[in-house]
Order: sequence, then structure tokens, then C-alpha cells
Amino acid sequence: MLRHIRHFIEQSWLLIVCSFIFGLLLAAANAAWMPRIQQNKIDKLDRLMSGLLGGAEEFDLAVTQLEVSLPKDRTAKSDIYKALSADGKCLGWAFIAEGSGFADKIELVIAVNASFEELAGFDVLASNETPGFGDQIKLDYYRNQFRNAPAMKLELSKTGDDKKIDSEIVAITGATVSSQAVVDILNNYIEQVKGQLLTKGLIGDGE
Amino acid sequence: MANDVAIDKYGGTFLAGLWRENPVFRLLLGMCPTLAVTAAVKPALTMGLSVIFVLLCSNIVVSLMRKALKPHLRILMFTLTISTFVTIADLFLKAFAPEMSATLGPYVPLIIVNCIIICRAEACASKNTLMVSILDAVGMGIGFTLALCVLASVREILSTGCILEIQILPDSFVPWAAMRMPVGAFLSLGLLLGLANAVSKKGRT
Repeated sequence: MLRHIRHFIEQSWLLIVCSFIFGLLLAAANAAWMPRIQQNKIDKLDRLMSGLLGGAEEFDLAVTQLEVSLPKDRTAKSDIYKALSADGKCLGWAFIAEGSGFADKIELVIAVNASFEELAGFDVLASNETPGFGDQIKLDYYRNQFRNAPAMKLELSKTGDDKKIDSEIVAITGATVSSQAVVDILNNYIEQVKGQLLTKGLIGDGE
Repeated sequence: MANDVAIDKYGGTFLAGLWRENPVFRLLLGMCPTLAVTAAVKPALTMGLSVIFVLLCSNIVVSLMRKALKPHLRILMFTLTISTFVTIADLFLKAFAPEMSATLGPYVPLIIVNCIIICRAEACASKNTLMVSILDAVGMGIGFTLALCVLASVREILSTGCILEIQILPDSFVPWAAMRMPVGAFLSLGLLLGLANAVSKKGRT
């Protein structure tokens, strides 16, 4: 037994020592830079929300950590922001949504109008979709299809008029999976967030 | 005499990466970032600097531990070392250059599997002294960065008429949008490889 342990240590001591040192190094880098990375993310979120809900002077955190079910029995938590004009009027709602893309997780910022009946649009907070194909979800020609589209179940189609604003979204050529991923994320979040805001009385009659 | 030999050896190691063994134009290594991030000079330069950092750090670490390396565990040790420094480079870019980090997307984490770095760890750092490994890393890194920047310059000029957002071609120039696309990357790389081969042949005759 001792012989085996000795052999194991002889063979792997360098690996164990290096793993420990590299782990410490990564932990130090993470601790030093993570606050700045988080701040960059918040700044980007503010910028994207302002772009989607023009005229909003501030974004109030209306609901924290709202739980949303994801496919494969997973859940995610999302903060819901209320966009307010200078005179305190609600202009709409914005929140971060996530789902699986073609290459990796896609994180979107979704904005809807005050009554939650119309999409103000979406923007991409983070994605690693294939450059030249899937990453076209960031481009205006695809995103504009969602601007003012009804906040209801959206359908993806491979052909159609991408200028027409309705619940039918025309897929990006060569990136059907990424296009479908965006539509799925929107469908999943819009339905659940709307339902929970209605229950909380933040929209609809209780607004 | 011994000094001259040492200078020749160190100078040769450093210069090899710039041209004779340039990773892009002569060894055809690291083709994935070469094709993917060279649509403009800024991302190409950022990728080049990231590779220099990772290559330098991994060569230093591998060279220092070369005598303790077990042959059957060496690839595992190389990967562990490289992935640590790539993660640090990725975190640094996310913290201090978030827009550039978003532009480069998955290509920074993909430096982990960049064959230039693992190739230099295996071929040079694991067999040579610290000084040789450092010079090899710097030479190869600069060679890779220069190659990326040359390719990116050609593509950026032809696709926008600008370089580093400074207009250098007249307004009458019609931008070649294809140069921004993958087809532009393959065409430019093919032509530059042909040019590099022609220059290299001429040098030998």
C-alpha cells in the first residue's frame, strides 16, 4: 500500500503542486478583476437598456431575482428593471434572459413596453456564436424584426419578409440554430416574466 | 569566441520566429485565429499581444520545470500551464478592454488549443534553458503578431479603405466587403503565403 502511495506521489507531485499554484494564481486574478468585470457588465446593461427604451431617464430595480424555468429542468434568476421617464412615468420593462445557443450560452437584454404587450426589442449582452454566422443575431437587420413585435409566442420561419413586424421571425441564413435560440429565449422569458409581473400586480389592472 | 557562439545562438533563436520559422508564414501554425481575427488591425494586435503573454509565461514555466517533467505527463502539464495563463489573459481583457474582449469572442479562450504555444513548449521550452525559452517565446510571439497585423492591414484597407480607423484610400475607392468575410481571410492568407514562399525562394538562390 505504502509503495503504491509513494509511486503515486513520485509520479504526480509536480502536477499537484502546479495545480495548487495555478489555482491560487487564478483565484487572485479573479478576485482582483471580477469587481471591474461586473461593473463593465452593469455599464453595458445600462447602455443596452437605454438603447432599447429610448427616453428612459432611469432604471429602477422592480423585482429582484425573479425565478424563470429553463429547458432541462434548470432555472435562472433575473432582475426586472422598470424604465422611468423624467416625470416618473413607466416606459417599459427590461431584464436579462439566457438560454443555450449553438456554441455556448447566449445572454440577451429584452425590453418590452409598459403594458407588456409589445416588444421594444432585444440586444445581445454576451454570446459566443459562430463569427460570420450565428453572431449575426447582434446585427440590426435581425434584431429589428423584434422591435414593436407583439409580446406573445414568436415563430421562426426560414423564409418570409424580414421587414414585416409580426410574430413571425425570419431566420438568419446559415444560422438557424442561433436564430431559433433567440426566439426560444424570448418565448420562454416573455411568458414567464409577464405571468409573474401580472401575479405581483405590477402590470395589467394592478399597474 | 564562446561569447560569439552564445550571441549567435540567442540571436538565431530570437530571429527564427520573425521569418525563418515564422509560425504563420513558414510553419502554418495557429491558422484558426489567423483567419478569424484579422478583419481589422486592432483585434489582430490584441490577439498577438495575448499570444505573446501566454507564450512567454508558458515557456518560462515549462523551461523551469523541464527537469522534473515526467514524459507521460508532459502534455497534461503543458495544457495546465497554458490554460492558466490564457484564463488570466481572458480575465484581463474582460476587465480592461471589454469591447475588444467581446470582439475577439471565443478566440481568446481558444488560445489554449493554439498549436504554436504547445509546439514551442514541446519543441523548445521543455529542452532548453530559461534564456533560450524566453527568446524563443518573444521571437515567435512577435513573428505571429506581425503576421496577423500584415494580414489584417491588407484586409482592413481593402474592406474599408482605412487602417486603424484612419482613412488612407481616396473616397472614390469602393470597399471590398468580401475582404471582411471568411473568403477575404482565405484569399489574403493564400496570396501572402505565396509571396512569402517567393521571397524565401529568392533568398535561397
